[in-house]
Amino acid sequence: MSGIFLTYSYDWSVIPKSIAFFERGLGVTVRIAILSVLFSLVLGLVVALVRMAPGPIGLIGFFYVQVFRALSLYVYILFVYFGIAAAFKLDFDPITAGVLSLTLLNSAYMAEIYRSAIQAIEPGQREAARSLGLGTIGTFVNVTFPQAWRIAVPSLVNQFTDIIKDSSVVALIGAPDLMYITTERVSFYQRPFEFYTTVAGIYFVMVVIVAQLAWRLEKRLRRHLA
Amino acid sequence: MIFLAGYQFDWRVVTDRWHLFVAGAWVDLWVAIIGFALACGIGLINALLRTSGVPIFSIPSFLYVQVMRGVPLYVLLLWVYFGIANITGLTFTSFQAIVIALALTGSGYTTEIFRAGLGAIDRGQMEAARSIGLSRVRTYGHVILPQALRIVVPPLGNTFVGLLKGATIMAVIAVPDMVFLANELNVTLFTPFEVFAAVAAILIVMVLFFSAVVYLLERRLRIG
Repeated sequence: MSGIFLTYSYDWSVIPKSIAFFERGLGVTVRIAILSVLFSLVLGLVVALVRMAPGPIGLIGFFYVQVFRALSLYVYILFVYFGIAAAFKLDFDPITAGVLSLTLLNSAYMAEIYRSAIQAIEPGQREAARSLGLGTIGTFVNVTFPQAWRIAVPSLVNQFTDIIKDSSVVALIGAPDLMYITTERVSFYQRPFEFYTTVAGIYFVMVVIVAQLAWRLEKRLRRHLA
Repeated sequence: MIFLAGYQFDWRVVTDRWHLFVAGAWVDLWVAIIGFALACGIGLINALLRTSGVPIFSIPSFLYVQVMRGVPLYVLLLWVYFGIANITGLTFTSFQAIVIALALTGSGYTTEIFRAGLGAIDRGQMEAARSIGLSRVRTYGHVILPQALRIVVPPLGNTFVGLLKGATIMAVIAVPDMVFLANELNVTLFTPFEVFAAVAAILIVMVLFFSAVVYLLERRLRIG
């Protein structure tokens, strides 16, 4: 225990030497995160609509949301990348498996965000639109959704921060993302503290940027209410 | 079943070892519980620092929350297990490392929950209790905390559920939980579908159980 913090000589020079690797890994992380958020924005809306449908169809949506919200990305990605791939003779590459898993899991969270936003719209709006002669779809597209969207956007963007953080797990199935190249560099230089601190900083900055964006959007979208 | 012809399902791999899966799930649950308990302790102290109004305390506390919520659990786990061990010479067992990582991540969330809970109690409550002669400690014990608890319990429950899901990452540093078991069985017996489906099913059951508990608590606490 003597000499705690004193015996270790830091060597931060390994970080600038690895910039090219960080760039490559960051590119993969950003690509995975953006693809996943776009797909889950669409799928989440579909799931929300299914969930709000009456009868057995709505029940399917309900189970979808409950099941996918109860899984951790790590367990699910192992199931998809090894289990489903082996049983159904599918050949996923790690990035596809990662995007697929992130999309399915997050679409469940986004579905709940959409649902509460849609339910927050006063029923009178819908009734008024219907009585003006708009159809069910016309009412949703022109009246309900544009208003619900404003309510949902900040939470949806916040969900994006979870996607960025969760995406680090795809490294475990060999997708060459930011975390993957970091672990690789750690075994090359034997400098875990320097590398993991740096990568924690990079994720933190990404999350802060997106959270700021959510905050600004929220302020902007609420302006008309003030 | 034709398109499944190549893969021989063998669920006995799971059913013959169900006790191992249960033991593994138990590890996940316990690690999550210990991590959560620590997260609550750290979160409560941190919330008091944050609301203290003293900048030397409240600013670091604010930054702590931002960092803990901005860094992925997986990164935090490797940072604790390999990084901190390397610079300090302290060697954490893998079990300690996951508990610490969960406590750190969790405390980012619990701090905000306690802050909101304490902030939601009207100041007049404190003033009223004090003016009828209750001491400061008794006011906290009988007036403030019982009300704050009602507010914080449901979101704390949700944080616990989040940590339980997060705990499954511990297999990465070889804590023998259910995912670690499934990984091992997959390597030795090559039955990825069965073992990972089993693990997913156990996790879903555990999470839905605790989510239901949280939901019931929430409904109960809301009344009155």
